[in-house]
Amino acid sequence: MLRVKSPQDLGAGLLFIFIGLVGIYFGKDLTYGSARSMGPGYFPTWLSWIIMGMGGICLFKCFTLDGPPIERIPLRPILCVFAGVLAFGYLIEHIRLEPALVLLVAIATQGRSDTNQKKMLLLAVCMAFASVLIFVVLLGQAMPTWSGDYLSAAFTKLWSLFSSAKGA
Amino acid sequence: MDMNMFQNLLTGFVAAGTLQNVGFAMIGCLVGTLIGVLPGIGPIPTLAMLLPITFGLDPLTSLIMMAGIYYGAQYGGSTTSILVNMPGESSSVVTCIDGYQMARRGRAGAALAVAALGSFFAGCVGTVFIAGFGPPLASFAQKFNSPDYFSLMVLGLVTAVILAQGSVLKAITVILIGLLFGLVGTDVNSGATRYTFGISTLWDGIDFLPLVIGMFGLVEIIRNLEGDTIEREPIPTKMKDLWPTRAEFKEAIPAALRGTALGSLLGILPGGGAVLASFAAYTVEKKVVRNPTFAFGKGAIQGVAGPEAANNSAAQTSFIPLLTLGLPSNPIMAIMMGAMMIQGIQPGSAVMTSNPELFWGLVASMWIGNLMLVIINLPLIGMWVKLLQVPYSLLYPAIIMFCCIGVYSSNSEPSQLLLMVIFAAFGYILMRFGCEPAPMVLGFILGPLMEENLRRSMVLSRGDPMIFLQRPISATLLALTACVVALIVLPSFRATREEAFKE
Repeated sequence: MLRVKSPQDLGAGLLFIFIGLVGIYFGKDLTYGSARSMGPGYFPTWLSWIIMGMGGICLFKCFTLDGPPIERIPLRPILCVFAGVLAFGYLIEHIRLEPALVLLVAIATQGRSDTNQKKMLLLAVCMAFASVLIFVVLLGQAMPTWSGDYLSAAFTKLWSLFSSAKGA
Repeated sequence: MDMNMFQNLLTGFVAAGTLQNVGFAMIGCLVGTLIGVLPGIGPIPTLAMLLPITFGLDPLTSLIMMAGIYYGAQYGGSTTSILVNMPGESSSVVTCIDGYQMARRGRAGAALAVAALGSFFAGCVGTVFIAGFGPPLASFAQKFNSPDYFSLMVLGLVTAVILAQGSVLKAITVILIGLLFGLVGTDVNSGATRYTFGISTLWDGIDFLPLVIGMFGLVEIIRNLEGDTIEREPIPTKMKDLWPTRAEFKEAIPAALRGTALGSLLGILPGGGAVLASFAAYTVEKKVVRNPTFAFGKGAIQGVAGPEAANNSAAQTSFIPLLTLGLPSNPIMAIMMGAMMIQGIQPGSAVMTSNPELFWGLVASMWIGNLMLVIINLPLIGMWVKLLQVPYSLLYPAIIMFCCIGVYSSNSEPSQLLLMVIFAAFGYILMRFGCEPAPMVLGFILGPLMEENLRRSMVLSRGDPMIFLQRPISATLLALTACVVALIVLPSFRATREEAFKE
């Protein structure tokens, strides 16, 4: 009876074999060519076979050599961070940058139970405006915002005041 | 030759001395020190997150800033190691051992000063190293042909494995997966689209930003969110304790010299870098020093001076393979290479002739940056120590915002965020299965280059793989690769490597 001695190697082996299989399967439609005139499928197919072979060795190892267990994967922080990022990506073109950023932080913060929600939201709002200032006003990156034009105008005004004061 | 170097350095200082470049060198050094001091975040995720900002800058300015972050982190990392007994940076892991013991003895100031001054000295030497070794290596690299480049990349990738923690087998496979990912998109030669699954976003290949920011930025956030809040109470330090005593200097100076030499050499090697250099320097110090005033592990000043000098000089010299051969020697250099390519510069031997301001400007900026860092780190040490008290819960909202804005703003495509999440998940799974994800970037960056050089070699030789052994340069490189493989497989070396990573 086979017994898994190192779960990490089992996981890695299966993952590698999976990637290798995907590489070989989807590389089938590509022209393979020959060594002297390599087609687009030549190098990836070779790579995929080697990756699969490595996965095989990993699998073999997991039954023979002792190894550390896979640490518990806490789902909550992972899901919250991913959900926040996806919400940001989905919503930014609809609700623009500032609300999307606040929402991102609001969702991602749920990944920890010991955070002070009110404080965090206040922080998020401040940082959202700071981001507009840094990325849109100072670095000139094009993003849909609510406050970008106003902040730019204020910044130009301040800058001209500053430079005229320096000149005088 | 000497006259030439002087002329070149002058060109460099003129290019690096503009207000804009000095300003961004300063920003880079400050950010580097900050992330060096903060244990939660290292240079790889930081560089990945700041990449989008550099798009608007010109190539030299952006490289100056990014380089500043990398070597700035070497300075900042020692502060946390010494005062909190927690490495601010993986290259400062060994500094904890004796640095913290020195702090407990009331010599924290001396430890900090020795680390900063040693780093400064090492940084200066590293800069001279680049100036001296860069040009000959670049002109040598012009003799390289496709088979030589292919073998060079093989050597670089295999050596990078030594640096990766954990299983060698997994590290190699992770690099191979990186190579495969690098091939996704339209094949330049045939125009065929590979592994795009009909998704138009992938036609130009997997974008570098979502990949690195997802795998390093987001994964870092998740790792920190799942951990328990750690109390970090720094040992109080007074400014007046900063200067080391004469006896301490006497012990520290030779150690810093040894560390500098070792670090400069290990930085040049493909696969080398700051982390490897600091571990190696500590091992050397333990072997070389016969009668330290305080034993190693009990607060030997050599255990601070050596590794700290080594990690900084290696951080500088690891630019040599990138700038002269176009070969990134570690994941951080791979990100630098990505930044250069996004700016439209193909790193390699041509950079020095076609773009001398870029090469020499970067070299000169490193010297300027090192000078800034001594000032940033020594008199202002109190400020950085205060920053340690900032809880991570205030930090990560900013980090996650940076990740999202950076990925979105690069081409205003929401699908990039999905890609980022996918790579974050992939990086996280790799980590849980005991595979270090960092080497994947190396493969990813080199994938297309390796394929192209393999293809050209095979055309040259009409399909005969012996070409790699018939050309002297390529054969030498492959022989070196074989030596490295033998070293990794050899049981005695394996034991020391595992021990080094355990410490």
